[in-house]
Amino acid sequence: MRLTGRDVWGWARPSRAPGIISRVATTSDTSAPPDSRSGWRRVRVTSIEVLCAVLLIAILGQSWLQQLFDVPALRTGSTVFVAVCVQALPFLVLGVLISGAIAAFVPARVLQKVLPRREGAAVGVAGLAGIALPGCECASVPVARRLMGQGVAPAAALTFLLAAPAVNPVVLVATAVAFPGKPEMVLARFAGSLATAMVMGWLWARWGKLSWITERALRRMPDVESGARWTTFLETARTDLVEAGGFLVLGALISSAMGVLVPHRWFGVLGDQLVLGVLVMAVLAVVLALCSEADAFVAASLTALPLLPKLVFLVVGPAIDIKLFALQAGTFGKSFALRFAPVTFVVAITCGVASGALLLGGLSYAGGVK
Amino acid sequence: MRRETQNVLLILLGGALLKIAINGDYLRYVKPSQQPWVIVGGAVMAGLGVVAIIGDLLAARSAAMADGPPAKHTEHVAEDGHHHPARSAWLLMVPVLAVFLVAPPALGADSVTRTDSRAPQSAATMDAAAFPPLPAGEVVPLPVSAFVSRAGWDGNGTLNGRRISLSGFVVHTQGGTLLARMVISCCAADAYPVTVRLTGGAADRFNSDAWIEVTGKVVPGTATKANSYTPDFTLDSIRPVPTPKDPYEY
Repeated sequence: MRLTGRDVWGWARPSRAPGIISRVATTSDTSAPPDSRSGWRRVRVTSIEVLCAVLLIAILGQSWLQQLFDVPALRTGSTVFVAVCVQALPFLVLGVLISGAIAAFVPARVLQKVLPRREGAAVGVAGLAGIALPGCECASVPVARRLMGQGVAPAAALTFLLAAPAVNPVVLVATAVAFPGKPEMVLARFAGSLATAMVMGWLWARWGKLSWITERALRRMPDVESGARWTTFLETARTDLVEAGGFLVLGALISSAMGVLVPHRWFGVLGDQLVLGVLVMAVLAVVLALCSEADAFVAASLTALPLLPKLVFLVVGPAIDIKLFALQAGTFGKSFALRFAPVTFVVAITCGVASGALLLGGLSYAGGVK
Repeated sequence: MRRETQNVLLILLGGALLKIAINGDYLRYVKPSQQPWVIVGGAVMAGLGVVAIIGDLLAARSAAMADGPPAKHTEHVAEDGHHHPARSAWLLMVPVLAVFLVAPPALGADSVTRTDSRAPQSAATMDAAAFPPLPAGEVVPLPVSAFVSRAGWDGNGTLNGRRISLSGFVVHTQGGTLLARMVISCCAADAYPVTVRLTGGAADRFNSDAWIEVTGKVVPGTATKANSYTPDFTLDSIRPVPTPKDPYEY
């Protein structure tokens, strides 16, 4: 359903400022000049009217809506959907605030001075810098995008994107709490996730093409003069939040639908098949899109499963899941996400298995139940 | 999407987060310690929308008064933002409508039948020393998750012969009537159930999802891997209770 004009889905830049002005003039000034009235001759449906119509219909149809959602499966799905949103949106807000702060207060040349000139070394620094952002994966996407916009090498920014949600202290402490008496699990998770992030960074430095990333994510912010810093901060945060928020909601919708549709009995039957167990746990990590601070508890509660598939679950989840894929596609563009996500998936499984084999005492032990 | 619409959506969504964080409904979706995050996140989100609206109004007014080129603020904003259609932003409507109009309830019987119940996390790694004797008393109230892990893993049998009181909701399955609680570690997306089978038939008259409080004794040795750690429970008494504000265990 395409409504009139571009205004509903997105406005062309030149028409914007006059639009606001004429709107304000007609509402705040009773003796408006005649030409501002001419806008009313053509009835234009803008997004504001669409928004009001949707709200009105929803409010009028509330009881019908509630009836519709009274099916058990839909009820469960909608609860999970709201839960993912309520849990993830504050972290996204944190992410866009950091992104806005980088845009407004950290000039590009400072970042270039701090990071090593060689891309390979910058990837290492970026991976370790991930330790400093205590948050979920949703926070790291806008930050990584802003780093790219400020001239940080994409390989380093992508390493940070993958490392930050997996190796920060909050997540590691949560893992230690979930696996009491198994410090090697924390170490293995740290090593596996850091390795995933760095391998992806080096792969990008070697084979990645800048043209895959949408031009809008790479656009350089001009250096901000000191008077406009706060405006830039607020405006960047607002824009990032509107853009990324929609995709976060999309990811939450898909993962809550999957959570209801995918039979959880998969978890239970995998005790003895190690290879199948690793693969299924990797797929579940993508599909369920759990917060990286909570996934350790879910993995620990699967008592029938050996340690190695659990570790793969913990390494894959923060690196790539449906929610992250939606966020990446929205932020960096589809053609980037379609290449980056599958490679991340394979690299994360490989690094998880390798780190498990080394740190959990070899496959034979990791394969033993309990 | 117009800038004004985006701002209104931010205010609505931020308001929705603030509303559930303040009236306590957030406990249906996330654990209690998330409350400050939800409040601050919602406030910042709504704040960004309000500040942008005020900024635009001021810029428009000063531009109208000066009758000159638009103020610097607006100009800057324009070069920062959107020449591309921000269609995805419409999706922000979905959680707003879900929170204000549908207000999904806490997870209940449907999730229990959908998910295999488990022994609570980390119970598998505990040994008998991790289960101290229960406090003295005629009836000992226990969280369902603590009850299940003792029933499944405690070699010393600290539960045996003791009268325990549990509260949870009713689930009817082919195997009988269960008392269940959902355990979450972060949000409802990672919830898993812990279940107790109520023997004797006294619980059969309650509907699914009805909240009850029961007292009774464990049947020793009935929580096994084969029945996903669902111990049998012989009922002494059963009574309906109102749905608690905080429906999950942690």
